[in-house]
Amino acid sequence: MCPVLGHLDGRFESADAEAEHRIAVLYQEFGGPLLRHVRKSTGNDLQWAEDVVQETLVRAWRNSARLQWEPSLLWAWLLTVARRIVIDGRRRKSVRPHEVEPPEVDMMAVPDGSERALSAIVVADALRSLSDEHREVIEQTYLRDRTISEAAEILGIPPGTVKSRLYYGIRALRELLRDKGVAG
Amino acid sequence: MHDEVAAYVLGVLDEEEHEAFERHLDECEQCRRELVELVELPEQLDELKHTPSASDDDPPMSMSR
Repeated sequence: MCPVLGHLDGRFESADAEAEHRIAVLYQEFGGPLLRHVRKSTGNDLQWAEDVVQETLVRAWRNSARLQWEPSLLWAWLLTVARRIVIDGRRRKSVRPHEVEPPEVDMMAVPDGSERALSAIVVADALRSLSDEHREVIEQTYLRDRTISEAAEILGIPPGTVKSRLYYGIRALRELLRDKGVAG
Repeated sequence: MHDEVAAYVLGVLDEEEHEAFERHLDECEQCRRELVELVELPEQLDELKHTPSASDDDPPMSMSR
């Protein structure tokens, strides 16, 4: 049971004071771990990452029913909320986010000698071993910061098909990576 | 609806769909379980986004923000 909502009734003079306290408790519980994860996707931009964590925890506070979810689910939800905020921010900040096309996975050169490079090799290998249809939707959505609708238009297939292929592709990728010890 | 969990965890649904899926999540045990199972995938894929490339002709996967 998540302790975030416990034992608060009647201790606060105002709703504001109680809200402030609850957000402080959320920070204590999740702030540090969230910041570590978010920094990876903000390119180590600490200020941006701190803003994302704050917005994530405020949204969590507004969805108090979800705070009662079991810890692993609550954590998964918080990470997903934070990721969405980062992606939205990146899309807003970038006037033309897709002007520079990233290389295809096959073209990527990976430097030697670091853990990151090793993980990248393992992930790239796993991605390559998916079917073309599955790999294509992962590349055209997440890896290029595109929504399902945008990718559907580019690929010339219905959005429902993109979602479905993404689902099976992601599940297959998870199976491939599960026991390889890639840092998550 | 259930297969949207992958798009949801990757953050690539449109705003309306994203919110609709969150409401679905409140009611669907199966999707909540899959969300937990898939939650590490995006960061694993980020390894590809942030990998620098060896040549100047090949821009890195990471976008300028």
